[in-house]
Amino acid sequence: MIKLESVHIEEMRGIRKLDTDFHKLTFAICGPNGSGKSGVIDAIEFGLTGQIGRLMGAGTKGLTIGEHAPHVDMVKFPDAALVRLGLYLTDIKQSATLTRKVKAPSKPTIEPATEDVLRILSEVAEHPEITLSRREILRFILVEPSARAEEIQSILKLDQIGQTRSTLGSANNKIQTAYRNAEAASTTAKEALQRHAQITSLRADELLEAVNKRRQTLQLEALDTLTPDTQLDSGLDAEKRLNGANKKTSLKDLESLLLETQTPDELAAAEASKAVSIIEQLQSNPALFAALQRLSFLERGLELADTPQCPLCDSSFDSVEALAAHLRAKLEKSKDAQRAQRTLSESGAAVGRAAVKLATLVNTALASCDAQGELALIPSFNIWRDDLESFRASLSSVDGIVAACTRLSQGWPSIPPTFHAELKAVTAKIHAKPDQTALFEAQTFLTIAQERLTAYREAMRRQKVAKAAADAAKVSYDTYCAVTDEELNNLYDEVQEDFSRFYRIVNGDDEGGFTAKLTPTEGKLGFDVNFYDRGLFPPAAYHSEGHQDGMGVCLYLALMKRLFGERFTFALLDDVVMSVDVDHRHAFCKLLKTEFPDTQFVITTHDRLWAEQMKAAGLVQGKSLLFFHSWSVDTGPMVESNTEIWDEIEGALEKGKVEVASAALRRHLEYVSRGLANDLAAPIPFRADGNYELGDLLPNVLGKFKKLLGEAANAAQSWGNAAQHQAVLARRDEFAVRMAATKVEEWAVNKAVHFNAWANFGKKDFQPVVAAYKELLESFRCKGCDTWLHITPRNNPEVLRCVCGAVSLTLRTKAK
Amino acid sequence: MATLQQKIADSFLTKLARAPEVHSEMLTELKELVLSGKKPKVEDFVRVFNLPAGGEIK
Repeated sequence: MIKLESVHIEEMRGIRKLDTDFHKLTFAICGPNGSGKSGVIDAIEFGLTGQIGRLMGAGTKGLTIGEHAPHVDMVKFPDAALVRLGLYLTDIKQSATLTRKVKAPSKPTIEPATEDVLRILSEVAEHPEITLSRREILRFILVEPSARAEEIQSILKLDQIGQTRSTLGSANNKIQTAYRNAEAASTTAKEALQRHAQITSLRADELLEAVNKRRQTLQLEALDTLTPDTQLDSGLDAEKRLNGANKKTSLKDLESLLLETQTPDELAAAEASKAVSIIEQLQSNPALFAALQRLSFLERGLELADTPQCPLCDSSFDSVEALAAHLRAKLEKSKDAQRAQRTLSESGAAVGRAAVKLATLVNTALASCDAQGELALIPSFNIWRDDLESFRASLSSVDGIVAACTRLSQGWPSIPPTFHAELKAVTAKIHAKPDQTALFEAQTFLTIAQERLTAYREAMRRQKVAKAAADAAKVSYDTYCAVTDEELNNLYDEVQEDFSRFYRIVNGDDEGGFTAKLTPTEGKLGFDVNFYDRGLFPPAAYHSEGHQDGMGVCLYLALMKRLFGERFTFALLDDVVMSVDVDHRHAFCKLLKTEFPDTQFVITTHDRLWAEQMKAAGLVQGKSLLFFHSWSVDTGPMVESNTEIWDEIEGALEKGKVEVASAALRRHLEYVSRGLANDLAAPIPFRADGNYELGDLLPNVLGKFKKLLGEAANAAQSWGNAAQHQAVLARRDEFAVRMAATKVEEWAVNKAVHFNAWANFGKKDFQPVVAAYKELLESFRCKGCDTWLHITPRNNPEVLRCVCGAVSLTLRTKAK
Repeated sequence: MATLQQKIADSFLTKLARAPEVHSEMLTELKELVLSGKKPKVEDFVRVFNLPAGGEIK
């Protein structure tokens, strides 16, 4: 997507002002702890994403970009804190500038603000995972499988996939419940029609036979077929359509209600017992109960979350995604509570359907009593029916089901105590009434039959619609789950393959047969690695911390490759291999060079040796290596460089701070001497701790350079190249004069004193020292290309030269 | 939208297009829900699955 061309940082974190050219190359920033290296990473990350990872996550409560991104002296002036990035957009092969201020982190200024540029930079802003620190490595390696799944799913932006899956699942459950309810309502309507028609099965011929018998009594034309448009009471005029007063039907309705209350619904009873059992378990496990009560709360919060503010407590998160991930993590933690919730909901729905059926029967009986003029039971029937409907409504939530525990265990129908006696009395009264005339019976039969047929047809229609929705919802959910599982399994297979290969590149010397296994299960990601062919174990079981660090980086690289593919062109690695030893770091350089040749890495390290190793391995070049030698609140990072150092020293001398100037000169000479010692293959006495001081380096560098110039003069003479010979002699003489001016050989007598003694100089005494060393160093540089002279080839030098070739002194004499 | 999400969404919709239970109006609405980049809600899916074939009467 992007590469970094340049960075300009002002008043950000520990940096006052810093300008650096990155040249779209892999870049290393080296410096001791607290020198500002991570500040550069923070600034780049902020520039690209508007976030700073170090101010987020565990242990950062109370830290915000507004308060803690600006330099500590500029907190009240957030407008002064800004980052300007020069970027190269690889997709469109175009450069752009992005300026982001702390005052407005979500509103960067982009030039040119074309559609393509804005789209690409907007995409980059959605990927804070471009920054990897050691803290993040631990997220992949040393965490529980469920947490690892979340971390990797978060980095791969899979959480939205999980969210869609969960939402589809909830929708499917709702629709399946609605279908079952429609099915139950259809059965109830069918039974009501059957009961009225006094037929054993709802077959058209049986119903027509019963209907036509009454139609004949009324001298109405018989119905031949039963179609969707058939009206059973067709031919009856409005006067003769009499409601509800059919004695036989009324008796059947009351009998049906009596039977229902005397013969318990076994299925509903079993579900009620199941619910009670779950509730009792919850009540004996307060932690689980609390988790269950929070579930609905969290699910609701997740539904409502559409801004970075939590809808439940108003806490601010850095993004909507961060809030959603936080809520989902809490939900994930209670799988047991989710299982309990699912069982309770299913049992509650089953009991609810039985309650609906009973309430419908009560309603029908109510209508019959009313039609028969038996009004005494009506008030108690109404109360009971309302109670059943209210009970059914309460079963639609887990809290409602829990609150109904006592009723569920003691007989949820809650039949009024006098119900059976009263119902039998009313039934007897209706029995005792004179039989209705055949005409009256026929009229009421047809009227009620048509009503119940209409109700049944409507219930059937709703059931059909609900079934279509249920079938569509199920197939959609099942398909989404299958597709997601397949893609995730493929993803993890690929990541596991790349990860294993990367790790073998880094650790091929002792773990050439290394393999790893990523095992996704529901909500978890198991991660096991091969330990010397003894089997697969978690990384922390047997591998060292250094190896685990290496695993973290390799897994990160495998994930980034999977996420971005060829568009993985930029990443920030903040001191991520600190525990990896020297040999493996060299292999790490090889990994980055060979597997990610088109990716620009910005790597920080506190280890100078590692920085030089990166340069020696060709991962970084001289111009893509930045050394910070120290830091102060007032100055920010102090950069080691050949051009700015003289301004820094001059500035210190202007202020009369000789000790500061002398310290800067010493550091710079050490910095340059290290490079020259390498470039000229100067013989430096070995130190096991690698802490070479100026006295170890500079005298030997000077000696080697003098020797090389001698060799060059001899070589020129052997080849009969008089002009070259004279030029080399002049260079050698000039070098000797400059060396003498620095008096370095005098001071070498007492190494422990001579450089420190500079701090005791006055300004007028020290200025000539500065000028002398500045001039001395010019002997080692090409005036044209401004690079340091070096020998080549290293093992058997033939030439002393610069990069551009303007200085090229033959060292090999002509064979005699 | 990230590549993997896009891949899953495309595969999901392709398979659903072959499912007789999902009619064209549902499919059109589902495409809108999963490809918009916005977070679909439960009610959105419930509404889509309850769409009648032939579309709603306007």
